[in-house]
Amino acid sequence: MAIDLDKCTGCGACAIACAQENNMPIFEDDSDIPKRVSFLELMKVTNDRDAKYPDVEVCYIPKMCQQCEGNDPKNPKPPCVSVCPVVATDVGDDGIVSQVWSRCIGCRYCQASCPYEARAFNWWKPRYEGDFKNSLNPEVSIASRGTVVKCQFCSHIWKRERDRAVENGVLDINAVTYTPACVASCPTKAFVFGDLNDPDSELCRLLEKEKDRKFRLVHTIDEKDEKTREKLMHIKNFPNPKVYYLTSKAWIREMMRFK
Amino acid sequence: MKKIERKDFLKIGGGAVLGGLTGYVFSGAPFLGMQWLFEWTQDQHVPPGGSESYLKTLCEACPDKCEMSIRMIGERAVKIETSHSGCPFGQNALQLLYHAERIDAPLKRTGKKGTVKASAFERVSWESALKDISVRMNKLIGEKKGHLIAGINKDYNLSAALLDRMLKAAGSSSAFYEPSLKSLTQAALGGYVDYDFANTDYILSFGARLLEGWGSPCAMNRAFVDWKKKGTKLVHVDTIRTRTASIADQWLPIKPGTEAVLALGIANILKRMGRAAGGYDWMAVVNAYTPEKTAEITGLQVKQIEEVANAFARARNPIAVAGRGGKGVSSSSAEIMAVYALNAMVGSRGAVLKRTAGLGEPALSANAAASLREAKRHAGLDDFIKNGNFEILFVNEADPLYKSAYGAELEGKLETALVVAVTPLLNDTALYADYVFPSLSFLEADTSAGSAPLKPYRKAIHAGDAIIGLAKMVDDIKGSFPWNAYVDLVKTYGAPIGAGGVNYNAQVLKEFLSSLEKTLKASEEFPLSLVPVELTFVGDGDGLAFPFVLKSIDEKTYSQGKLWVQINRDTADREGVSEGERIDIESSRGEIGSVRAHLTDTVAPDTIAVPLGFGHKAYTRYARDKGVNPKEIMANDIDPLTGAANWWLTRVKIS
Ligand code: SF4
Ligand code: SF4
Ligand code: SF4
Repeated sequence: MAIDLDKCTGCGACAIACAQENNMPIFEDDSDIPKRVSFLELMKVTNDRDAKYPDVEVCYIPKMCQQCEGNDPKNPKPPCVSVCPVVATDVGDDGIVSQVWSRCIGCRYCQASCPYEARAFNWWKPRYEGDFKNSLNPEVSIASRGTVVKCQFCSHIWKRERDRAVENGVLDINAVTYTPACVASCPTKAFVFGDLNDPDSELCRLLEKEKDRKFRLVHTIDEKDEKTREKLMHIKNFPNPKVYYLTSKAWIREMMRFK
Repeated sequence: MKKIERKDFLKIGGGAVLGGLTGYVFSGAPFLGMQWLFEWTQDQHVPPGGSESYLKTLCEACPDKCEMSIRMIGERAVKIETSHSGCPFGQNALQLLYHAERIDAPLKRTGKKGTVKASAFERVSWESALKDISVRMNKLIGEKKGHLIAGINKDYNLSAALLDRMLKAAGSSSAFYEPSLKSLTQAALGGYVDYDFANTDYILSFGARLLEGWGSPCAMNRAFVDWKKKGTKLVHVDTIRTRTASIADQWLPIKPGTEAVLALGIANILKRMGRAAGGYDWMAVVNAYTPEKTAEITGLQVKQIEEVANAFARARNPIAVAGRGGKGVSSSSAEIMAVYALNAMVGSRGAVLKRTAGLGEPALSANAAASLREAKRHAGLDDFIKNGNFEILFVNEADPLYKSAYGAELEGKLETALVVAVTPLLNDTALYADYVFPSLSFLEADTSAGSAPLKPYRKAIHAGDAIIGLAKMVDDIKGSFPWNAYVDLVKTYGAPIGAGGVNYNAQVLKEFLSSLEKTLKASEEFPLSLVPVELTFVGDGDGLAFPFVLKSIDEKTYSQGKLWVQINRDTADREGVSEGERIDIESSRGEIGSVRAHLTDTVAPDTIAVPLGFGHKAYTRYARDKGVNPKEIMANDIDPLTGAANWWLTRVKIS
């Protein structure tokens, strides 16, 4: 996935669409951030630490699970997967890092090890009071209290599209494409979603073209040359996320470095 | 044959049990079993399945009429999908449709006014509710006091047009609209401005946060995608570095509240190029605002102002946009005129005045005509709240108690009148209603394209039908309502028509400028400026009833019961305020307490930015008692043309 921050206005449609599609639990007070459960966080960032009025800017960064891969794409080891004692989270053939709510025992190791704070813990049982229950999506199960949940790139929509395709006689299910809820909802088309393994996909062509604007969230080795990168990868496992961001603003890229 | 011994038998039995156990473990059954156990012990809800289908409708919230597709599972609507990516607000529709506190039947007050408890109301039938109200209306009109019936609408739509007509036919001139971009420009210019954002090459926005909920958001978003492709230039004037200001090609960081002065300064430069608009008196005012004087008042540089004026004059099809804010707009009529004059001066084809064709003038009965002669005229809603009076008030989807700077004054008047609130959720104003009429979400309403995709919720009906139903029961009015239901009008209502020319009122401009001068003077008592900001999805308050909106609010706006305001760093230093500190903000009108200070240089020096949309007294358990409502202390000088309080800029101090 690629997200063009220059196009994002911070309207919030992606966050709300994600919550609707993925049966986000409704609690007593969902504005309470430490206790909140959501998959997509709309982060507001500004460069006002280094700049003074009026040389400041603000920008929104929609942040969900970055679908990490680890150092070796053939043997993907995202930080969260390697720590799970019950294999509740794993990487599928499609590269999506899955999470099975009902298998999760709530140890929260994965949440602690995720460098992007992409995971949330259900402290309570969700309350879908009154008719709110009516709008729940049957393709996404309701998480119990005491489990960790996260974005899975709406992979249930892929299954939906696959079933539709199969019904229409399509045999090659690898050819099935789909659009995650956040991507579909964005009024400015800031998201591009596609297959990173297919060099002809719109996504790959975009990333190829936008070399100067693209970056990944706090991923320091991206700036190093190939040799150093390889050396570092022997020492440590890097998250290597599959979500790319595009921006023309140098300060945003600067902010994404560890300093 | 070998005899099976007891030992072997045990072995075989043991093996079978072991094998069975192994099979059981590997089959995944224990996991499933555990899952069922969890679901059962936690009483976990499993959404029922059903056949999938998609229903189509049009979103008629704006002239763009986006096509919407609703994903259905059986009878349940589970997702809104827009076919050509438009509006960010459509996503909330299901949370309204299935809201836990949606009003399911007409309510009649039984308890004290102003109480939050649902027990303050009882459910009644539509017949008895309409009957009771019509009896009161008949009596009032019969006494030639129809002018004491008033109405407040939120948007310009069909139900509002029907309410306007009902009031007129009753002999009342008190049909008002909540201050909004459309109502303010209409009052100031005689028509709303239809901007051609798709074909302009230069946009000069005077505080209009075009990409943060302003105007019709889906049209704006779509235009924005185009601007980037076509190289349309956006110049944004604002005190706060908002997202619109960050996206803009150029940002003019102006001193709060001085946008009108900048417009006059640019007009002054255009005039020297031989362009004019407005009469002699108007241009005389323009003459006074030389670039130097403008720079001094606005805090911008002479060079900046000249550059912008030149670029504006040179552009092929430039537009100057008035209407400060996002969803909640506050601009004085003088400012709206001064900005619109720039369009006239350069002969912009991209800013055309329009009006919405109404339902025509109703015939007046003798009683109605007599009461109309008695009617006092008010320029707009806040003027009416402050100076008007009424015995029956209809509130059509609006929430003036919450949104108006005169909320407290209104509260007193609502106590003694018969108040009918039309709304799907119990908002702050409805707390004072004698009757609450449950109305529909747009998914349940017929559109010009066809019938509604979903059935109305329980006993809720279209606001237009409630008004038609009531009008038909009032003797002096029923003749003006030949329709059976709102659907009779859906196809024809709402066509835009041309509006006349603008009357550039120099007197209003002069009065505004002299009062602005007073406001701007640094006062010992109130050294700081308070200006509003909004989160697009919260807007000026409408979003807060929805849990998924609450989930999206950032930590430096509202979290854990604390509302944050943004203060410039140096200013905070000077005032001795540190990050996260609890402060009180006081204006000449009063105080809002216990907000947290967030120090940031996205805000101009000597300025505090306060989020709108928080501090509801009602509007469901999700919105209630979250933060404070800054309108309580915001400026409330009433504009002579719009009749609205100009609350944008308020002088305050902190403690
Ligand atoms: S972002 Fe976090 S949760 Fe997602 S794959 Fe990476 S480590 Fe795991
Ligand atoms: S991909 Fe799906 S689950 Fe992930 S953030 Fe987007 S909408 Fe939410
Ligand atoms: S929907 Fe698009 S524009 Fe709106 S906040 Fe999300 S990414 Fe940004």
